[in-house]
Amino acid sequence: MRDPGGCGIPPLTPTPVVPAALLGSALLRRPAALGAAAARCAPARESHGPPRQEHGSSRAASLHWTGERAVSVLLLGLLPAAYLCPGPAVDYSLAAALTLHGHWGLGQVITDYVHGDVPNKAANMGLYVLSALTFAGLCHFNYHDVGICKAVAMLWSL
Amino acid sequence: MAALALRGLGRRCLLARLGPGPTLHRVIPMGTTAREEMQRFWERNERSNRPLSPHVSIYRWSLPMAMSITHRGTGVALSLGVSLFSLAALLLPEQFPHYLAQVRALSLGPALVFSAKFALVLPFSYHTWNGIRHLAWDLGKGLRLAQVTQSGVLVLLLTLLSSAALAAL
Repeated sequence: MRDPGGCGIPPLTPTPVVPAALLGSALLRRPAALGAAAARCAPARESHGPPRQEHGSSRAASLHWTGERAVSVLLLGLLPAAYLCPGPAVDYSLAAALTLHGHWGLGQVITDYVHGDVPNKAANMGLYVLSALTFAGLCHFNYHDVGICKAVAMLWSL
Repeated sequence: MAALALRGLGRRCLLARLGPGPTLHRVIPMGTTAREEMQRFWERNERSNRPLSPHVSIYRWSLPMAMSITHRGTGVALSLGVSLFSLAALLLPEQFPHYLAQVRALSLGPALVFSAKFALVLPFSYHTWNGIRHLAWDLGKGLRLAQVTQSGVLVLLLTLLSSAALAAL
């Protein structure tokens, strides 16, 4: 492809030189002065929304990552706690940490393998239902039954 | 990133071509955004129904690769197990000691009990030890390939030993 503007590097996509008169009103126009200014900075910026919005979503993702590690460490600490001081405090903490750790973990699995807007959304909604039921069931077990720590101890005494 | 640079370059070339002069009369067509171009690429790609190149079926398996998917597999299994237990707690009529007594009444041999406990604690133990390995990576430690293999072997060893020890309790 011939180099149109003498820049030395032929552009990948053909950039047509269109005199103003030939452009229909249907096409989006920008005065050349603005165009020069835009070309200096990132040209596609206006279509992505305000930059603060992008930073917001990446900050949320970063906080989520940190939250995942924090819950993992908490769950790790609850294991010796369950052995050394079993009781309702550890029982309910385990119920919460176990459910949240599992919910976030399965969420990552869905993100990796379920593609497409609709299937992804449906799978995540199903996950929310499952996690809610799981937490409810564990709390019910802790309240009305022997509790998680005691149950494991009893099971192991078989 | 490269696409953005090229587009900026293309626009600058276009401006140079248009030259200086009364800017009011000159306009530049807006073109497509990067997001639109990516979306068009994916639409065309999916519409053409191209076959997927073989990947996991032909790539040579390594220890870190196998341990990674096992970590995911044990995680999913443990999670579903917890959910199953939880749903049983909500739906079954009797309490936990009742069902435990029923299992005890089966008078299963000690070897079977040990095997059952071992099978139960193995995925839990693996996921826990490998999870610690993951947390070490998140701190930036042990990321060189030799270290990854060494820590992997250590995790497997600890898994077997701790599972056997816990099952014997």
